This record gives sequence, structure tokens and C-alpha cells, in this order.
Amino acid sequence: MTWTIVVGVKQVPDADEVGIDPDTGRLDRANAPAVMNPPDRNALEAALELRDTVGGSVLVITMGPPNATIVLEEAIAMGCDDAVLVSDRAFAGSDTWPTSLTLARAAETLEADVVLCGEETTDSSTGQVPPGIAAHNGWAQLTYAEELEPQPDEGRLVARRDVEGGYELVAAQLPVVVAVAYGEFDPRPAGLHRKIFAENDFEPREWTAADLDIEDEVGLDVSPTAVGTMETVEPVERRSELVDSVNALLEPLEETEVVG
Amino acid sequence: MTELDTSEYADVWVFVEVHDDVMPVSWELLAEAKTLTAKTGDDLVALVIGEDVDGIAEEALARGADRVLVADDPVFEPYRADPYGAQFRAMVEARKPSIVLIGGTHTGRDFAGRVAVPTHAGLTADVTEIDVDDEGILQARRPAFGGDILATIVCEDHRPQMATIRPGVFEAADPNYACETTLEGSIERVEVVVDEADCISEVLERVVDATADITEAERIVAVGAGIEGDLEPALELAEALDAELAATRAVVDEGWVDGARQVGQTGKTVRPDLYVAVGISGAIQHVEGMNKSETVIAINDDPNAPIFDHADYGIVGDLFDVCPQLTELVQERGILEVAR
Ligand SMILES: Cc1cc2nc3c(=O)[nH]c(=O)nc-3n(C[C@H](O)[C@H](O)[C@H](O)COP(=O)(O)OP(=O)(O)OC[C@H]3O[C@@H](n4cnc5c(N)ncnc54)[C@H](O)[C@@H]3O)c2cc1C
Ligand SMILES: Nc1ncnc2c1ncn2[C@@H]1O[C@H](COP(=O)(O)O)[C@@H](O)[C@H]1O
Repeated sequence: MTWTIVVGVKQVPDADEVGIDPDTGRLDRANAPAVMNPPDRNALEAALELRDTVGGSVLVITMGPPNATIVLEEAIAMGCDDAVLVSDRAFAGSDTWPTSLTLARAAETLEADVVLCGEETTDSSTGQVPPGIAAHNGWAQLTYAEELEPQPDEGRLVARRDVEGGYELVAAQLPVVVAVAYGEFDPRPAGLHRKIFAENDFEPREWTAADLDIEDEVGLDVSPTAVGTMETVEPVERRSELVDSVNALLEPLEETEVVG
Repeated sequence: MTELDTSEYADVWVFVEVHDDVMPVSWELLAEAKTLTAKTGDDLVALVIGEDVDGIAEEALARGADRVLVADDPVFEPYRADPYGAQFRAMVEARKPSIVLIGGTHTGRDFAGRVAVPTHAGLTADVTEIDVDDEGILQARRPAFGGDILATIVCEDHRPQMATIRPGVFEAADPNYACETTLEGSIERVEVVVDEADCISEVLERVVDATADITEAERIVAVGAGIEGDLEPALELAEALDAELAATRAVVDEGWVDGARQVGQTGKTVRPDLYVAVGISGAIQHVEGMNKSETVIAINDDPNAPIFDHADYGIVGDLFDVCPQLTELVQERGILEVAR
């Protein structure tokens, strides 16, 4: 039994490049270059390792604007077999409920045995999408996964989950949604030939909301949450004073009543 | 979509997370939720799920819950997402709470979606401030994009209004609250709707040590990847300063320091009087967890490290030189006890 492994990746503004618009005081995401959500690289590596052990295929999926194709190409360059771009104007304004519904339907359509996701995205940082996918489909889930041990004969996947103060080993029946702990599974570099293929010849499959039969279940209208107000947080005032000797640190330590 | 009658929904629920002991964030939520029910007039309801949890239900009352709902069954021990999700969902559907608050621990963030998705509830992640407006709409505030923005997330038309709340941001509820206010609450055992035979996951092993709590520390020495696996200089400095050890995610991922001591967006929020950052670059996700500290000192050999912008005093130098010198200096001068 080989596995169909689906990986959800998202295009996000490069967190290191997001500036504040001096006029509005708002974050200027529009001008930040779009990159793959860093934790999703760990999910891709975990998927490729699973395929190496169990056999099967790794299919990458992103729900996003048409130019999110770039992150799919990156995943293909890393060695993934195929990719799907789920893109539709109807998705505009989706919060995690319709997002996870869309990915859940797509995973079902692809007949996924395992869905791998990153721990969270750097732009919305909810970590809710993976459990959301599992919940929509009634599948098992394994979040904060640090290690994976496939048991194809039993139709199970065992994960070492990071929990506060330790870890646990949890076995889940397939199909299962896994959120890989950020920083685990060091992503492999893209091979040169694969990279050239991804950039020049590869075209992802493209699906709309109608293809997944969810036109009426996505977008702003079905999203329970909405952003009310956004306040720029006043940066905490710091003195930012560089001292040139360790001795000079004594004064602040006296002031904070640490030393006598 | 059919309109939901939001007026059918009442009360504020707080999930009490139990793994042998109660996770501290649960009591933090209970205290903070009181500020909501004080405004709305709702009941504050604590939800205890686990096995043999009567003592914890009593404690929830003592700490100020108006009512406690208990789902007690071996199927809930140890924690698994599917039975917790199913039980919690059934209770939400039957009793219609208006607001549900869950600690933003790995466990809370694991199962919250399994309740919110099937009930089509609004779920806000990683919340650091909560309030209600005049209509009883939860104002869930969370840092967005690395903490430069505080976004208020609302859920107008769906119920319940759910949120996972970051640990360490609120004060814990007083264990003697009920005695002092002569509050008398009630404990109700609810029907357990989950059956082991329906579970799709199994915990094979669980290894958990007592976790350190750095959120209450008055002084912290935090280490970053710059220590390169050698904790000694930082530990000695921490001891000299009577400080707790904390770490960045990079250090925790390397396995050099336990995850309970991680500071930042996916770790703890701390607000000590003194925070000494040793070999830490100052990534936004880290700074978010420590920028409520009173005084920040940074030690880094890179004069351009962003941490210096988030520090009151910085010293550019090799931590393996600076830490021992500072340790010695502090020992010579003699430290003052932490005021408690
Ligand atoms: C979704 C997400 C969530 C995250 N959550 C967190 C979180 O909760 N907490 C967190 O901390 N990070 C978090 N991160 C990671 C964060 O982005 C940074 O990668 C991390 O904080 C860097 O840790 P560091 O400062 O220890 O390491 P580095 O960035 O590698 O910095 C090491 C520093 O040590 C200095 N140094 C090296 N040698 C010496 C020496 N001998 N003497 C003095 N200085 C020296 C270097 O100049 C450098 O500045 C998260 C990232 C993501 C994407
Ligand atoms: N639009 C999307 N398309 C594909 N995968 C996604 C999308 N949004 C979230 N994910 C996956 O879910 C994980 C957690 O995202 P989040 O819940 O938004 O923090 C990400 O790391 C991705 O693996």
C-alpha cells in the first residue's frame, strides 16, 4: 500500500521585509516580496521523507491568488510529484473556517491518506487550519509533530508530538492531518534538474470553488470572524544605550534593585 | 445561510486543562473571564474534562467559577484531540455558551478547531487581551504580524465566540476567591458522549516532566543560539542574579533547553524586572514575548543585532567573556533579594 501525501503550503509576505507605511502607520504588506511560509518547508520535507519510506506520491496544494504558483514550483523543485492551485475570487475574505473547508475538500478529492501542514503561517499565525481540515473531514490529527513513523501495514501513522514539558507518541488511523513542528525536518535543497523543470515546464492543476462544489460555502459570508480594528502598537520605549564595559552595567543593575 | 439567533447563547465558559495537574493558564483565564461576566451578568462556567477530576472541579469553584461542568471518564485520559473535540462539541451544541475561552497551549490549540469547525463558531487564536462590548460581543485582541499591530477580532453572527488565549498574560485566579466572597457554586456531571470504540487515535507513550514556570519570574537570563550548546556561562550568571533561565526557540529546537522555558510568540510571555538576553538576535517572534520586561540588557557580539533596539542597555562582545565578567561583578557587589 503506497500513500497519497498531500501538503498544504501558503504564500505569505516575507516577514523580514514588511515595513510600516510612514503615512498610514499600517503594515505595508503590499510591497513585501511573497515567499513560501517558512514552516511549510518543514512539512514538505516530512512529506518527502514519508514518500521515501512508504512509497506513493506527494501532491502540493495551495489556496491563494494565481501568482501563488511560484510556491508550488518551489515545492516541485524540492521533489514533489504534482501540485494544485485552488484559486477563486469567491475565496476573498475567507478566515480559517472556509480555508480549512477548501483544503479539506481538496484533500478528499485527491484521496489523501496523509495531509501535512506547517505549524502555523507567519501572516495569520493561527495554527487552526490543520485541525480545521481534520475536523471538516472527521479525520484524525497529529499536531506539533517532531518525528513521524509510518505503519502502512496497520494503516497508521505514529507521531512524536511536542507537548508542554515533554513529548508523547500518538498513533492515528489514516487518513490523518499532520501539523509539523516548525524547525523539525530540515528541508532538502532543490536539485538542479528538478528546479529547471519546475520553472520551465511545470504547470499546476487549477481548481475553482465550483470544482470542489463549495461555491456557497467560502468567502467573507461564511467566515465567522472578522477583523474589527487594527491598532499600531506603540513600540516599547527602550534606551538602546550601548555601554563599552561590563562595569557600566552595574549602574542599571543598581537602578533595577538587583545589586546593592 | 440561515441567521443564527445569538440571543439563545449565554454564559462564559473557561476550559480547565488537566494533565495530572491543571495547566496554569486555565486559572489565568478563569480570573480574566470574571471581568467579562461582571459586565455581561452571565455565569462563569468552568469545564473540566478528564478522569477522576472531582478535586479539580472543587478547585474551580474555590477559584471563582459560578458553575462547573464535569465530563469524567477514562476515555479522556490521557488527552486526545478526537474524544475531547467530540465531547466539547456536544456540550457546546446542547448548552449554547456565548463565549468559550481555551488556553493557547499545544493541547488547547490542538482541539479548539475540532469544536469550532463543526459548530461553525468563530475562533480567534493567540489572544492576549479580552473584553466585551455593550452587545456582549467578545473583543479578542491579538498581536498581528510579529506584534507591531494589535488586531481586534470579533465574531458578530456566529456562536459561540471562541478564543485560545496565550499563557502567562493574565494573573491566575485566587485559590480562596470563593471563601472570601462567600460565593457558592455548583458542580454538574454531564453525560459522556464519547466511546473508546469510536476513537481514531491512541496515545502509545507520554513522557512529561514537571514544567518550569518562567512567567512569574522577576529576573530572567535568556539564551539564544549564540551560546552554541554551552549553557554554563548563562547558568552561572542566572545563579548570581537569582534569575530563571529562559531561551529562544532556536535553542529549544536544538534541545539545549526545555520548551517550557521558551519565550516568544509560540512560547511564553514574560514580564520580569530584568531580562538579560545572551546571544539572542532579537527576532520579532522572540521580542513579542519579552518586550513587557522592565529593564532589558543585551549581550551580543554583532553590533547590528536587532536585539539592541529592544534593549535598554547593550554590550557588544563575546558572551563567553562578558557573562563570566558580569557574574563576577555581581557576586562581588552582592545581589538584593527579589522582592516578592
Ligand atoms: C511561526 C514562528 C514562530 C516562532 N516563535 C518563536 C518564539 O516563540 N520564540 C523565539 O525565540 N523564536 C521564535 N521563532 C523563531 C525566530 O524567528 C528566530 O529564528 C529565533 O528567535 C532566533 O533565535 P536566536 O536569537 O537564539 O538565534 P539567532 O537568530 O541565530 O541569533 C544568535 C545571535 O547570537 C549572537 N552570537 C553568536 N555567537 C555569539 C557570542 N559568542 N557572543 C555573543 N553573541 C553571539 C549572534 O550575533 C546572533 O545575533 C519563530 C519563528 C516562526 C516562523
Ligand atoms: N491558503 C492555504 N493554502 C494551503 N495551505 C494552507 C493555507 N493556509 C494554511 N495552510 C496550511 O496550514 C498551516 C497552518 O496555517 P494557519 O492555521 O493559517 O496558521 C500552514 O503552515 C499551511 O501548511
